[in-house]
Amino acid sequence: MKLSKKLATAFAVCLALAGTAACSNGEKSSSSSSSSSAKITKVKKNTNIVFWHGMTGVQQDTLKELTKEFEKDNPKIKVKLENQGQYSDLQAKINSTLQSPNNLPTITQAYPDWLHTAAKNKMLVDMTPYINSKEVGWGSSEASDIKTALLDGAKIEGTQYGIPFNKSIETLTYNADLFKKYGIKKAPTTMEELKKDAQTIYEKSNHKVVGAGFDSLSNYYTLGMKNEGVNFSSKIDFAGSTSKKVINYYADGIKAGYFRVAGSEHYLSGPFANQKVAMFIGTSAGEGFVKQGVGDKFTYDVAPRPGKYTMSQGTDIYMFSHASAEQKSAAFMYIKFLVSKASQLKWANATGYIPVNNAAADSAEYKDNKKIKLPAKLEDAMTNLYSVPVVKNAGAAYGQLNPIMQNILAAAQKKQNVNNAINSGKSKFDAAWKQ
Amino acid sequence: MKTNQKKAWLFLAPTIIFVTLFSIYPILRAFGMSFQSGSLIDLTWTGFNNYKYIFSDPDFWLALKNTLLYAVISVPVGLAISIMLAWIIFDKVKHQSLFETTFFMPYVTSTIAIGIVFRYIFNGDYGMLNFLLRNLHMPAPDWIDDPAMSLTTIIIFGIWSSLAFNIVILMGALRNIDPNYYTIADMYGASGKDKFWRITMPQLVPTIAFLLTMNIIGAFKIYTSVYALFNGQAGVGNSGTTAVFYIYNKFQTVGTPGVAMAATVVLFLIILFATFLQRKMMKKIGEN
Repeated sequence: MKLSKKLATAFAVCLALAGTAACSNGEKSSSSSSSSSAKITKVKKNTNIVFWHGMTGVQQDTLKELTKEFEKDNPKIKVKLENQGQYSDLQAKINSTLQSPNNLPTITQAYPDWLHTAAKNKMLVDMTPYINSKEVGWGSSEASDIKTALLDGAKIEGTQYGIPFNKSIETLTYNADLFKKYGIKKAPTTMEELKKDAQTIYEKSNHKVVGAGFDSLSNYYTLGMKNEGVNFSSKIDFAGSTSKKVINYYADGIKAGYFRVAGSEHYLSGPFANQKVAMFIGTSAGEGFVKQGVGDKFTYDVAPRPGKYTMSQGTDIYMFSHASAEQKSAAFMYIKFLVSKASQLKWANATGYIPVNNAAADSAEYKDNKKIKLPAKLEDAMTNLYSVPVVKNAGAAYGQLNPIMQNILAAAQKKQNVNNAINSGKSKFDAAWKQ
Repeated sequence: MKTNQKKAWLFLAPTIIFVTLFSIYPILRAFGMSFQSGSLIDLTWTGFNNYKYIFSDPDFWLALKNTLLYAVISVPVGLAISIMLAWIIFDKVKHQSLFETTFFMPYVTSTIAIGIVFRYIFNGDYGMLNFLLRNLHMPAPDWIDDPAMSLTTIIIFGIWSSLAFNIVILMGALRNIDPNYYTIADMYGASGKDKFWRITMPQLVPTIAFLLTMNIIGAFKIYTSVYALFNGQAGVGNSGTTAVFYIYNKFQTVGTPGVAMAATVVLFLIILFATFLQRKMMKKIGEN
C-alpha cells in the first residue's frame, strides 16, 4: 500500500511538472509578443545578452576580442557568445528553435532568407526605431555610415530587420609567381580571359598545374546567369540555351583539364597552396586561410572576380522579439559597436571580410594594410554586387545548385555528355522552387 | 485480483508515461505533420501534397534507392564476414580476448572520428587505399569525389564498422554453445565443416536473427557515416544521399517539416515491412 501511495504521488508530481512547464511556456510566449512594441529604454541595470554565431578560427578570436572591448566600455552589459558550428548548423538550430521562442538568443548571425518565416510571424525586431534612436542608435540610417547596398540587403520584404556585419564578396586569388613563369601579364578581368589564361597555364605546365576553379558552384551558376542578364528566380530554364552556355563554359574546361572543382574538400585554398591550381574564385573571407596555407612558398595576389558581377555574401545580425526592452537596447548597442569604424577596421584587417562601414573602407589604415591583399583591390572588386533575392524557396534552390552542378561536372570529368545531367538537374532545380 | 491489477497500472505508469510522451506521441505528431505545409511555427493543412511532392522528387527516390541498396548489401555481407571472423577467433586463435578487444575498439570510437580517418584513406589523390591499389596495378578509383563511387564507399565503410558489434555478440553466442556437442561430434569423427554447419550455425540462429534485425534497422537509419565520409555533405552531387539525410535536410535546412515528415512516414513503413518480413523468414528458418 505504501509503495503504491508513493508511486501515485510521484505520478501526480510528474503530471504537475508537465503541466506547469506547459503553462509557463504559454505565459512567456504571450508576454514576448507584447514586449516587441515596447519603447526603447536605456540600459540601467545589469543585462545579459546572447549572440549565436558561426565564426571559427581567426574570425572567432577577433569576435571575442571585440566583445571584450565592448564589455569593458559597457560594464553593465554581458555578451555571451555561442558558437553553433557551420552556417548550415546555425541555420538548422535557428529553424528548430523558432518553435520555442524563449530559447532563442537575443541576437544571431543569419542570412535574411533563413528568417523569412520568422519575420512573417513577427518574431524579429524591426531595427528602424533603434537606428533612428539618438540614445542607442545613430539618429538615422545615413548617420550610421553603413554602406546602403549592404543595409538594403539586410531587409526582409522591405523591413530593416538586420544590420550587416560580416560581409564578403567573391574575388579571384592567383599565384603571381606562376603567372610570371608562364608569361601572363595581368589577372584576367573577363571570363574569356580567365579561360585563356587557365589554358595557357595548363598547357605550359605540361598538365601539372590546373588553370582555375570555383569554390562555390551555386555562385558560379548564379553569377554566370546574371552576367548573361538573367536574374535568379523560379523562371530560369535550367536546360535552356543560356543556362547551357553557362554550364558548358565550366564543363568544357573540366573535360579539357584546365578547370577543376573543389569536390568534397569544399575549398580550393588547399590545392592552391600546394600549387596544384594556379587561381581560384572564392570568398574574400577565405584570405586568412589562403595566407596561412601559402606561407612563404610563393606570392599570391587578389583581383576582382572576372565578369561584371560579384556575389555579396556573408551574414547580418538579427534580433529576436522575445527579449526584454533592456536586452534589446543592450544588444543594439553591441551591434552598433561591432559595425563602428574602429571595430570594422580591426575585423576586416584580421579576417578578410569587407568593412561594412564607409569610413573604415575609405580609411588609410585599411587601404594601406599590407598584411592582406584585398583592401587595395576592394573598390574595383565591389562595383557590381549581386545577392540571392529573399523570396520563398530561393535559398533552397540556390543551395540545390551546388549538388546539381557537381553532378554535371562529375560527368564532364569522365568525359561524358553532360546533357543527361543537365536534364536531371532541371527537374531537381524546379522541384526545389516548388516545395 | 482486482487490486492487483490496479497496482500493476501504477508500476507501469512511469514506463507508459515516458513511452507515450517520447515514442508514441512523436510518431503520431510526425504522421499529423506529414499532412501539413509551411514552417514549424506556422503549419497549415495541405492534404496529400507532401506525399505527392516526395514521390515526384528525384532526390527522394535516389535517397530510397541508396538506403535500400545499402541495407541489402552491407548487412548480409557484414554479417557473413563477422561470422567468419568470430568463428576463426573462437576456433583457431590463441589470446582470444586480445583479438576480441581489438575488434571491438571501433565500436567505442566516434563514427565522426573514424569517418574523417577513412576520408584520408579513401582520398583519390593521396589516399592509402589507392596507394596500395596502384602498387598492385589495380584500378584506383576516386572513392570520395566521384559520384558513381559514393555508395560503394559508404557500403565498404558500413561493413567495416558493423563488424565490431557483431563479432562481440557472436563470440558470446559461440561460448554459450555446449562444448559436449563438439566432443560427441569428434567421437563420431565429424569434419570441421560438418561441425560448423550442423552444430555451430543452428545454435547461432537466434543470435543471427537478432543481429540481422538490429543491423537492418540501423542500415535504414544511416546518416553519421555519410556525413563524416563526405565532409558534411551527402557525397559529391548528393550522390550518396540517404533517407535520413533527405529528412534532415528537408526539416532543418530547407525548412519544410511537412515534406520531411512525409518522408519519415514512408521510411517508417518500409522499416516496419522489412522487419516483419525478416521475422517471418527467421521463424521459418528456426522451424527447420
